[in-house]
Amino acid sequence: MTDVMSRLSRLTVLPSRRDLLAGAAAGSLLALTPRTASAVLRLDITQGNIQPMPIALPDFVAGAPQDAELARNITGVISANLQRSGLFAPINPQAFIEKVINTDVVPRFPDWRAINAQALVTGRITRQGDGRLKAEFRLWDVFAGQQLDGKQYFTTPENWRRIAHIISDAVYERLTGERGYFDTRIVFVDETGPKDRRVKRLALMDQDGANVRYLTRGDELVLTPRFNPSTQEVTYMSYGQGDPKVFLLNIETGQREIVGNFPGMTFAPRFSPDGQRVVMSLQQGNNSNLFVMDLRSKQTTRLTDTPAIDTSPSYAPDGSRICFESDRGGSQQIYVMPAAGGPAQRISFGEGHYSTPVWSPRGDYIAYTRQARGQFAIGVMKPDGSGERVLTEGFHNEGPTWAPNGRVIMFFRDNGGGPYLFTIDITGRNDLKVPTPSFASDPAWSPLLS
Amino acid sequence: MKTASALSVTLHVAVLAWAMISFNGKAFDVPPVEAMPVDMIPVEDFTELTKGAKDAPKKEEPKPLVEKKQEEVKKPEETKPKVTEKKEVAAAKEEAPPPPQETKPDPIAEKIEKQEPPKPQQQAAKPPERLPPKRPPVPKQPKFDADKIAALLDKREAQRNAATGADLNSAPSLGASQGNAKRLSASELEALRARLMALWNPPVGIQNPEQFIIRVRMQLKPDGRLAGPPQVLSSGHGQLFDSARDSAIRAVFRAQPFDMLRKETYDTWKDIEVTFDPRDMFRG
Repeated sequence: MTDVMSRLSRLTVLPSRRDLLAGAAAGSLLALTPRTASAVLRLDITQGNIQPMPIALPDFVAGAPQDAELARNITGVISANLQRSGLFAPINPQAFIEKVINTDVVPRFPDWRAINAQALVTGRITRQGDGRLKAEFRLWDVFAGQQLDGKQYFTTPENWRRIAHIISDAVYERLTGERGYFDTRIVFVDETGPKDRRVKRLALMDQDGANVRYLTRGDELVLTPRFNPSTQEVTYMSYGQGDPKVFLLNIETGQREIVGNFPGMTFAPRFSPDGQRVVMSLQQGNNSNLFVMDLRSKQTTRLTDTPAIDTSPSYAPDGSRICFESDRGGSQQIYVMPAAGGPAQRISFGEGHYSTPVWSPRGDYIAYTRQARGQFAIGVMKPDGSGERVLTEGFHNEGPTWAPNGRVIMFFRDNGGGPYLFTIDITGRNDLKVPTPSFASDPAWSPLLS
Repeated sequence: MKTASALSVTLHVAVLAWAMISFNGKAFDVPPVEAMPVDMIPVEDFTELTKGAKDAPKKEEPKPLVEKKQEEVKKPEETKPKVTEKKEVAAAKEEAPPPPQETKPDPIAEKIEKQEPPKPQQQAAKPPERLPPKRPPVPKQPKFDADKIAALLDKREAQRNAATGADLNSAPSLGASQGNAKRLSASELEALRARLMALWNPPVGIQNPEQFIIRVRMQLKPDGRLAGPPQVLSSGHGQLFDSARDSAIRAVFRAQPFDMLRKETYDTWKDIEVTFDPRDMFRG
């Protein structure tokens, strides 16, 4: 009998004393944890409703009566910025129940809930002893009843628009979780005069169309300006008497230099993400190939060597790859290759010709111009060619450029009369005209200034 | 030996051949069966009782059908025990006379002892006739009441009706103590979900949606409003996560009051955990 027992204990895995203790401990732990979980009603929400967020922007309070207009203007710029983004719906101030807001006091949230404001921005503009402006703002979540953000900035009075853009960015970033793009500038080609003698000047403006400034005098033809992603520097193609050449221009100093000393025409320049190199096309006979030049060492490297026209190169934001257009397959299509050159892979397979690919600063899309059936379309596709989506299509749409957050694309559209600048969301919505003094083309978006 | 093996082989072959022919590979035919229409009905419709409340108003719907029979049912229940007592009483009647005769000596003896020793013998014969009626009648008399006899007669008729009456009246209007039929209906849940979906405005900048699944736990008051600020159970970091979290919280706040939920089912929705999952919205 004992034999049987001992055999049994050998056969079956009897828990040791330690195991039993551990089990007891685990059991008591289980017993201690609250068991209310079983009574919880669980619910999955897998679809939301993306819509402009109603936001209330009462006029900023002015520290002195003479600053009231300035405070109102700053509020107006912030409101316009948020509205143009398409993600916010500023509420008409006439609906406000609580009119004057002291920025240091918690607002009466029920009053703002009553008009269905989800966010509230309050602010104050005061003048410092040295003449500088001090701008403060607070961003409130009306329904949760708490402050989301609050900052203050100092600047010279003439810089008030930038302050407004910076506050817009702060609000936008806190509420959308994305980088803002309001404190940016656009360089573009301003076109004046009759069609046969069009004067093209390089111009610079804020992203909302204000503060237009001309960078060239108009005695040379300028094309394809591009912003340096890391500094306030522009590269563009210009030609006066000789061959078209690629130039580098410092916006602040006005200093201009030629990029590379190539025999023949250079065009379609674009900076690398670190701003240290410029990649461009060089015409050689009937072909053109891609070259990259290091701006410090002035060393140039050939990237492609094909009997075809390779042009419009654009770096991926991590600098590892380049997308470009090429007719090596018979028609203009988009290709992607390693940044140091090498085998290129075609990614566009749709109908018509694809050109001017531009890699998004976020890396997720490549924007392009597509020409098919006599229509020009602006679209986006993923770097592997999938997920192609046309954002706008019409008589003439061309030259996409990305906002630094990769959400908005600016391009120029010509409906027959002349070109103007437009912006569109990558969802294809929020198609808006950008105010310019006259005809405008070839826009290029700057990086964030701050 | 050879013949035996040969015979064995031939017989085996014969059996095998027969088996192969008779058990041919014809498949089992399953005659087509006519589809039988089946209604799917949730068990709850039949098994679940509503939880009772003491102050609940009585539903009077079933009454009219059974009203007359119920009255009759009550009477027989009361009379049942009495009927059995009556039978015993009947037996007692017959036996009653003898015991008094047996017990007679004792009371007599007591009285004799108290009064005078010589007289008891003469009185003994007389008192037994007088005493017995005094004692036994006290317990037995109530069983012979005229009312009870009438009940006996009534009982027989009532018993026949009682079976049907009890069955028909099986649904109590005040409910069972452990009833659990107070569940959220599918339409209530859908309405709740639809409200949250309409009000959830997730940040458009989401790129890796699996990192921004926000679980929110909220306690509700019976009036459908939040009992306190909702708790976020998910954790993450970065501005985008903050925005995603805020959007989920905002949806919960804005959805107040949750008036699509009935107060009767409060126990099931007083504690809700909502998962805001943006994966379906931001795939690609």
